[in-house]
Amino acid sequence: MSADASDLSLVRRVQRGDKGAFDALVLKYQHKLVKLVMRYVRNPAEAEDIAQEAFIKAYRALPQFRGDSAFYTWLYRIAINTAKNAVVSRDRSPVEYDLDRNNNDESYDMQGRMKDSETPEGLVLTDEIRSTVNAAIDALPEDLRTAIVLRELEGLSYEEIAAAMDCPVGTVRSRIFRAREAIDRRLREVFEGGLGRAEELG
Amino acid sequence: MNEELDSQLSAMFDDELAPAECELLARRLSRDESLKARWGRYAIVGAVIRAERGVRLNAPLAGRVNAVLLAEPALAARTAPRDRRYARLRWWQPLAGAAVAAGVATVSILWLRTQAPLGGTTLVAHVPAQANVASPGASGQGDSYVVPRPKPAAALVPSTELANYVVAHSMFSNPVARGNLLSAFMTSEAPASGTEEPQSDVKALAH
Repeated sequence: MSADASDLSLVRRVQRGDKGAFDALVLKYQHKLVKLVMRYVRNPAEAEDIAQEAFIKAYRALPQFRGDSAFYTWLYRIAINTAKNAVVSRDRSPVEYDLDRNNNDESYDMQGRMKDSETPEGLVLTDEIRSTVNAAIDALPEDLRTAIVLRELEGLSYEEIAAAMDCPVGTVRSRIFRAREAIDRRLREVFEGGLGRAEELG
Repeated sequence: MNEELDSQLSAMFDDELAPAECELLARRLSRDESLKARWGRYAIVGAVIRAERGVRLNAPLAGRVNAVLLAEPALAARTAPRDRRYARLRWWQPLAGAAVAAGVATVSILWLRTQAPLGGTTLVAHVPAQANVASPGASGQGDSYVVPRPKPAAALVPSTELANYVVAHSMFSNPVARGNLLSAFMTSEAPASGTEEPQSDVKALAH
């Protein structure tokens, strides 16, 4: 299996003029990129603006992307440079905290204060999405939950997960897919049913 | 929705799909909005599991980027003028290739002509006298082949040697190729009149 093959296939399509393929890349990396940019700016809305600018710069620079590095590595560098330039131009100093320490109460409070700048409906929906996904993960059978968490949280490859769970790679692929499907079923109801749907689903 | 397709989508999201399958699915993903929405929700699931706090999960970022890019020319269109310039420069390349091939062929023909014997005097055929006639049934070891007698004056000695060589190695060659080669030799060595008595010089070359 070649690493980054899926991103590369989308990138090649964009390079051939298919803008729809770039949508898929934005959807895949938008949350990671916003999280990354938030190491440099305080405001989530501002982080989104910078992430948006980074995506557009990446799109314009894609003809020069040859695939020597992974697409996300390349995008990551663009986002970092865009964020640094934004910080310099606005004469702000970067926020020095690690977003990975999310269990820290102080960090959580800080995030809570930052959310004040968001629209109330957006915040409620974000919280609802989180609670829906977390509830769906809790309801998963143990083997599915372990597989999806090892993949998403630890970033392990299917082969590594197969070794950790002592099962074939095909089983890992199937477990991750079934876990995603179970979560997605609940999530889709939230998006299609509107706010408050998560509580109804219990 | 096709479960196999969704399973592939999940594997592609994790970069665990074979490149050939990625190519096909990327094409479908870029056009199918429901598939793209599912792809986006997979990203949300990952963001929640990684507890990416402070990130708005309903952020219309993809929509905003898409709206900006709508005003942009597609990348293929942007690079097209350069391609057209190269295309203008490239028209002579097939002609140059053909010219080089013709040149090589001409030089080869001239070289072969300089190597050919003049008058048949430089090379002498050494045909064993005792190998004149072979009775096909006598040896029982295989087919007999008829090799025409070399012309005494302007004999094509080198081609006779070549024919002998081909016949001697015919057992190891493809039957079709063998037939073609032999018939070519027979034809090339037949007398111009076509009335000459069949060979008196017959050689059994079956191995």
